[in-house]
Amino acid sequence: MDGDSSTTDTTQLGITGEYMTGGTYVLQTQDDDGDESFNDHEDGNGSKDNFREQDIYLPIANVARIMKNAIPQTGKIAKDAKECVQECVSEFISFITSEASERCHQEKRKTINGEDILFAMSTLGFDMYVEPLKLYLQKFREAMKGEKGITPVTVSEGLGEELTDDTFTGQLPAGLITADGQQQNVMVYTTSYQQIPGVQQIQFS
Amino acid sequence: MSDRNMEEKVEQASNSKNISLPMSRVRLIMKSSPDVSCINQDALFLTTKATELFVQHLALSSYKNGSGKGSNTLSYSDLARAAEESETFQFLTDILPKKILARDYLKSLEEMDKDDDNL
Repeated sequence: MDGDSSTTDTTQLGITGEYMTGGTYVLQTQDDDGDESFNDHEDGNGSKDNFREQDIYLPIANVARIMKNAIPQTGKIAKDAKECVQECVSEFISFITSEASERCHQEKRKTINGEDILFAMSTLGFDMYVEPLKLYLQKFREAMKGEKGITPVTVSEGLGEELTDDTFTGQLPAGLITADGQQQNVMVYTTSYQQIPGVQQIQFS
Repeated sequence: MSDRNMEEKVEQASNSKNISLPMSRVRLIMKSSPDVSCINQDALFLTTKATELFVQHLALSSYKNGSGKGSNTLSYSDLARAAEESETFQFLTDILPKKILARDYLKSLEEMDKDDDNL
């Protein structure tokens, strides 16, 4: 491939045999670049700055598993259908969230709560989910309480632990691999340069 | 209780209570919406669970519509058709455009060029 994504070779374009008229069209190309590895990972880390907002997806394995369990046993799922549902899911989440968020703003609240979500679903045509969801929420809350008596807490961008003066008076031990490949234990002095007997000195080779 | 501890507890609870999607990733997607500041725990759980229901709903609806053709494979076009025909899935039409054969597209491009030449 020469980097230019256009090609007239239909096999490379991976077009299926069906087509329809009307509406907008898309030429299906070969594998997308970039974001696949992130989307396939099961973990949820990764800062927002590293990828475009619209490319955040749920892991395809999880999505595919849910799809497989939903259709009859003998059914199969095309690979592009799995990827497509992955995108639809992100769209769904954004759809619900922005509706819920708008309601929050109108009522001058900052935190989106469960009611907002349920209301949004009802408004957007998913009210068939509301009753089952309420039951699931009940079970979930019971499970949470069961975990060593925790009371539900707002999951938000909280502050870290408070830093006091005491945290800076100690010495922080650190293991360093020096340039020649040897590991040395180094004491990092934070507030004072006193040499304390018995403590290994920093060595600069 | 720090946030990280809380999230771990939430993940543990959700693992034992019937959730098969990562809530932390759902939260990331929610926060990518403009003007979203805080999301409470119930809201996060409900969204995650609703997303599961949505996947099941979309997959089954699309599959049922498609199986009339004798194929037992759920394909992209089944999904595109569901988006168009169902009111519930209308919001997906922008991201599920229908596909066209490349040669037909190229042919229509050529015809457009010809028209330009004739002007």
